[in-house]
Amino acid sequence: MENHPFGILEDLNTKKLTVYEEMKERGYSRRDFMKFCSTMAAFIGLSSSVVGQVANALETKRRPPVLWMHFQECTCCSESFIRTSHPIVADILLDKISLDYTETLQAASGHQAEKSLHDTMEESYGEYILMVEGSIPLANPGYCMIGGISSLEILKEAAAGAKAIIAWGSCASNGCVQSARPNPTKATPIHKIIKNKPIIKVPGCPPIGEVMAGVVVHLLAFDEIPELDNQGRPKAFYSRRVHDTCYRRPNYDAGLFVESWDDTNAKKGYCLYKLGCKGPVTYNACAVTKWNGGTSFPIQSGHGCIGCSENNFWDNGPLYKHLAEFPGFGIESNADKIGVFAAGAAAAGIAAHTIATNIRKRKLIDSNIEEGRKGME
Amino acid sequence: MKPGKEFTEMTSRSVSSNMLYRPMRRIYVFQVPTRIFHWINVVSLMSLIVTGYIIGNPPALLQESEASQNYWFGINRFIHFGSAWIFTVNWIFRVFWAFIGANKWENWRNFLPLSKKQWKEAWEIIKLDVLMIKNDTHLSIGHNALAGFSYFIIFIVSLVMVFTGFALYAPMSESWFPQLFNWVIPLLGGDMFVRFIHHASMWIFIVFTIIHVHLVMYHDYVEGRGELSSIIGGWKFIEEDILENKNKSEEQNTENEDK
Amino acid sequence: MSQRIVIDPITRIEGHLRVEVEVEDGKVKDAWSSGTMVRGLEQIVKGRDPRDIWAFTGRACGVCTTVHSLASVRAVEDAVGITIPPNAELVRNLMFCTQYIHDHVVHFYHLHALDWVDVVSLLKADPNETSRIASSISRYPKSSPNYFADVQARIKRFVESRQLGIFANGYWGHPAYKLPPEINLIAVAHYLEALEWQKEIVKVHAIFGGKNPHPNYLVGGMACPINTNEVNALNAERLAHVGELLKNARAFVEQVYWPDVLAVAPYYLDWAGIGGGLSNYMAFGDLPENGYADVGRFKFPRGIILDRNLNEVHEVDGKDEDQIKEYIKHSWYSYKGGDEEGLSPWKGETELNFTGPEPPFDNLNIDGKYSWVKTPRWRGKAMEVGPLSRMLVGYASGRTEFQDIVNDTLGKLNAPVGALFSTLGRTAARAMETVLTCDWADQFYHQLITNIKNGDERMANTDKWEPETWPEEAYGVGMTEAPRGALAHWIVIKNRKTENYQLVVPSTWNSSPRDPQGQRSSYESSLLGTPVYDADQPLEIIRTIHSFDPCMACAVH
Ligand code: HEM
Ligand code: HEM
Ligand code: NFV
Ligand code: SF4
Ligand code: SF4
Ligand code: F3S
Ligand SMILES: [Mg+2]
Repeated sequence: MENHPFGILEDLNTKKLTVYEEMKERGYSRRDFMKFCSTMAAFIGLSSSVVGQVANALETKRRPPVLWMHFQECTCCSESFIRTSHPIVADILLDKISLDYTETLQAASGHQAEKSLHDTMEESYGEYILMVEGSIPLANPGYCMIGGISSLEILKEAAAGAKAIIAWGSCASNGCVQSARPNPTKATPIHKIIKNKPIIKVPGCPPIGEVMAGVVVHLLAFDEIPELDNQGRPKAFYSRRVHDTCYRRPNYDAGLFVESWDDTNAKKGYCLYKLGCKGPVTYNACAVTKWNGGTSFPIQSGHGCIGCSENNFWDNGPLYKHLAEFPGFGIESNADKIGVFAAGAAAAGIAAHTIATNIRKRKLIDSNIEEGRKGME
Repeated sequence: MKPGKEFTEMTSRSVSSNMLYRPMRRIYVFQVPTRIFHWINVVSLMSLIVTGYIIGNPPALLQESEASQNYWFGINRFIHFGSAWIFTVNWIFRVFWAFIGANKWENWRNFLPLSKKQWKEAWEIIKLDVLMIKNDTHLSIGHNALAGFSYFIIFIVSLVMVFTGFALYAPMSESWFPQLFNWVIPLLGGDMFVRFIHHASMWIFIVFTIIHVHLVMYHDYVEGRGELSSIIGGWKFIEEDILENKNKSEEQNTENEDK
Repeated sequence: MSQRIVIDPITRIEGHLRVEVEVEDGKVKDAWSSGTMVRGLEQIVKGRDPRDIWAFTGRACGVCTTVHSLASVRAVEDAVGITIPPNAELVRNLMFCTQYIHDHVVHFYHLHALDWVDVVSLLKADPNETSRIASSISRYPKSSPNYFADVQARIKRFVESRQLGIFANGYWGHPAYKLPPEINLIAVAHYLEALEWQKEIVKVHAIFGGKNPHPNYLVGGMACPINTNEVNALNAERLAHVGELLKNARAFVEQVYWPDVLAVAPYYLDWAGIGGGLSNYMAFGDLPENGYADVGRFKFPRGIILDRNLNEVHEVDGKDEDQIKEYIKHSWYSYKGGDEEGLSPWKGETELNFTGPEPPFDNLNIDGKYSWVKTPRWRGKAMEVGPLSRMLVGYASGRTEFQDIVNDTLGKLNAPVGALFSTLGRTAARAMETVLTCDWADQFYHQLITNIKNGDERMANTDKWEPETWPEEAYGVGMTEAPRGALAHWIVIKNRKTENYQLVVPSTWNSSPRDPQGQRSSYESSLLGTPVYDADQPLEIIRTIHSFDPCMACAVH
């Protein structure tokens, strides 16, 4: 730092002031501060009536510190997050939160990156929000290590001082692809490891960017954890099945289905149920919020939902069947095939039984007949 | 036949019986509520199987119509859900009846294989009627122990259907009853698996029905005691002598137990 | 005296990369690169329906999303003999181009720029002068003094908040930063612009594939039907949306990305002599103009350059089991045949075998196994893959499009061809191919419109959709050029199921540990000789590593 042009940077990481304190320290008056607040408000597009609130926020609030951890993942959650269109991610990063650690975007590497992490964990103990992308491999600490430390240790340490935890994506909330059979690394979602903190699960592979931003905004704007469903997902985005909000639903109810890829029914936008659409068993906001700023969502673009926000969705049978296959019976062994087989076996058994009855119980039957005939006499 | 012999022999009809004409006793085995239950169960279940199968494997019908002109698949689901309500309420009623109004053949005890006697009887039935390694018949005035056991299993599978079905139904309903099953989905890990269980278990009913109907007719055919009509009119017809023997042996058995 | 430096985590990349280097007399003497996270995807896809694998392998990476799905559907199509309709090829090409444009721009601004741009220095910039410079290098409309003054004020406020967030503990003020404050200001303004812009171009993926990241693919074509008389299919509105997105993307690349690269490069010409590393370059090629089978008509040609000899292009064949093999001598795996063996991918094995050091640890055991990345070799040789390899293979194959942009750029920078073999060359090559890709995307788009106009609305070939139509046993390779380089998936299908599946990924080639003969791969060899001004602030090392755009989730998978 020796040749740095701005002295202000020197104690940046040791002392954090609110904006008001900061301005006071630099000799500005309260009036200057209020003026600054109205400029700020205008800058971020707020009307003058909320200047008071802005001032209040700047007087009392620092941007909430956030640590974003990466474990076993593919970074699609980070990628999705930066795609959000409301609010756009630059505003979140510059104005709403202080993202003090994220391997994907932060400037510093190595020791300097770890310093950022530890500074926040110490200075904001009990205050920071921990966001987790990725699962934890429990089979061996060597399966995911950062800075020579196992992901499990890192998670436990970071979780200890967290105010709340957000489990981004299916990796962190249900283990996602790496936990699919045979789960070679014993990839484990974080709620199975951290039990004593509120965890908001935001599943999806990845979750929709606007949904991710929506969860963050909810936390900040309403200063509360959004209401969660019985699986720990925010009700605001996960209380409806894709199927219940799907615009192709009328086709489903009318029994109009795409029978094979690119057939005339596909070209008419019929329901994709018979090609394996998992919309009927998937809770997500895709059909309403849609993807990438409302451009489309899987079904609108002709492919069924693969159920990417559901627990265990990778093992829920083949993609192109809407029902799981019977495990252990080979490919194309669905419940119906096995059922038909069982029913057939029962029918065959019955036929055999009927024949056997007429042989083995002949005397009995004959004596019944005889008795009946006698009765008639 | 004298009391004290093997239980099954006491209650079975010997092939070598040389009686030419035997008086029959008419016994009111299934009361009206049981019979009504049975047939409501049959009809709603048939409806559930057909509509359920169609939900799982929709045929390509009316492909030329517009979605707005047509609602057959929705109606199919509606029938499924309607039948599901009837099916569920009917079962609740039957369980209730088994405790409060049932006669001794309809009583809940007949369905739970709790006593050694029932297990023994079931094994006997297997030998007599399934494997036919014993050439004889067995008298059970109500259903036999093996049948009772199969109804118990069907009761359990019905519960599975109700729990999984209403769990799947809950998100489409505002009513309180389906909401009681909200916990099922997180417990089993997701809708997909719940649906899988729901679908696969359907085949248990189908297989049961095939075998059950066959065995009912088998008994009617081999024993001639009006088995089939008992679930319609309520009556069965039992040979007086055999019935007396059975009653005696049962007394004997209880006396023995008392000692 | 030499000193061991550890950089872990390396940030502004995808995934978990650790680099250990030995520094002597202010220069890197040796280097070891390690991928420190594994998931075991190759084991997970075994036994599954081959038609599903694209979705699993797509999740190898959410940054270079789509490329593994593409490689996967191609591998299956190759194995069972499916030719996809021309429209599907065009749509896949458009997905491909979109991925390049997005990934490369995001790499330059958000993953790489902070290695060259000192954010804090922009506070000293003069907005008027900044505006003058910006207008002189580009027609980009957002170049007024007020615009730059606003950005500067915003960053100032941010810095003064004392919560530096992602910029905290950066190497600000390091003497290796050479840009004047005004150019720093332009770059940071465009960092923010690019952050907002990048979410737009991926809408092309959303239109064709339903979402991004991880759009949907389909064995046999694409799932998005064409019907110009239907609101539920690709119609004039959807296509116009794609056209608009491509047009805007092209404007951004031409008016922002490319001028910025040209504006920054002259300050860092010393980096044209640093970070060269290997001298072999490989590209599998992609963007078929006449179907995937016609390799000669790929926009990106296939081939290999050995010893930086641009006069000869060697052939590479993914099906020749003697050419590509993977080694695990220094990787945490075991092969049935032992550590010295190399396996061709159809016979590949993925058996995890972590040999330590047990975390927490200070240093890797560089004599033993030290990475989750396997070590691929072409005929025993280490290969660099990526934008630079693609540009070089295109250049050496005599393609004028490649030669024009390379010569033009070198002319502007007043640098010889040899300058390409460097950290700077890699970063420039990435920008050059983005410019080319924008052109090509435009061509593919118009070809698609022409096809539809001529009445071809096919999007999927379902003749062999049902596994019953497949042979008992089938072998397939799906090759492509991911943004980070040559990518291929190998599949063995037996009894209609995935019997074996192997991914050999660009970052696997580049980031791998040494092979049994001790040869270094790209990262390790490119770091040799890199100057290190301050061992506590490994800025120079990160520069070269970032020039490859590492993706470790990909590399290990
Ligand atoms: C015991 C008799 C029943 C049988 C045989 C049966 C059968 C089926 C079958 C085969 C399916 C199709 C599953 C698939 O392939 O996706 C289904 C769906 C369903 N069943 Fe049943 N079911 C029964 C009882 C019930 C009950 C008691 C309910 C309670 C409400 C219920 C509610 C549902 C629901 C909600 C669905 C999903 C429908 C949809 O999402 O469109 N079922 N059933
Ligand atoms: C949907 C399929 C069916 C199911 C699930 C079913 C179930 C049952 C159950 C649970 C009982 C015991 C009744 C009680 O004690 O409450 C029973 C008895 C009986 N069912 Fe069914 N039934 C089915 C179809 C039929 C059909 C189609 C017939 C006639 C052809 C039939 C004839 C009988 C008879 C005769 C009995 C009395 C048998 C005995 O006492 O062992 N059932 N059935
Ligand atoms: N290496 C790599 Fe990828 C790319 N480009 C894939 O094949 O980044 Ni995730
Ligand atoms: S949830 Fe899916 S998208 Fe997100 S990191 Fe995991 S694999 Fe990637
Ligand atoms: S396309 Fe999928 S989600 Fe939409 S109605 Fe059909 S089954 Fe439901
Ligand atoms: S696959 Fe995922 S993206 Fe939405 S439509 Fe289905 S939950
Ligand atoms: Mg591999």
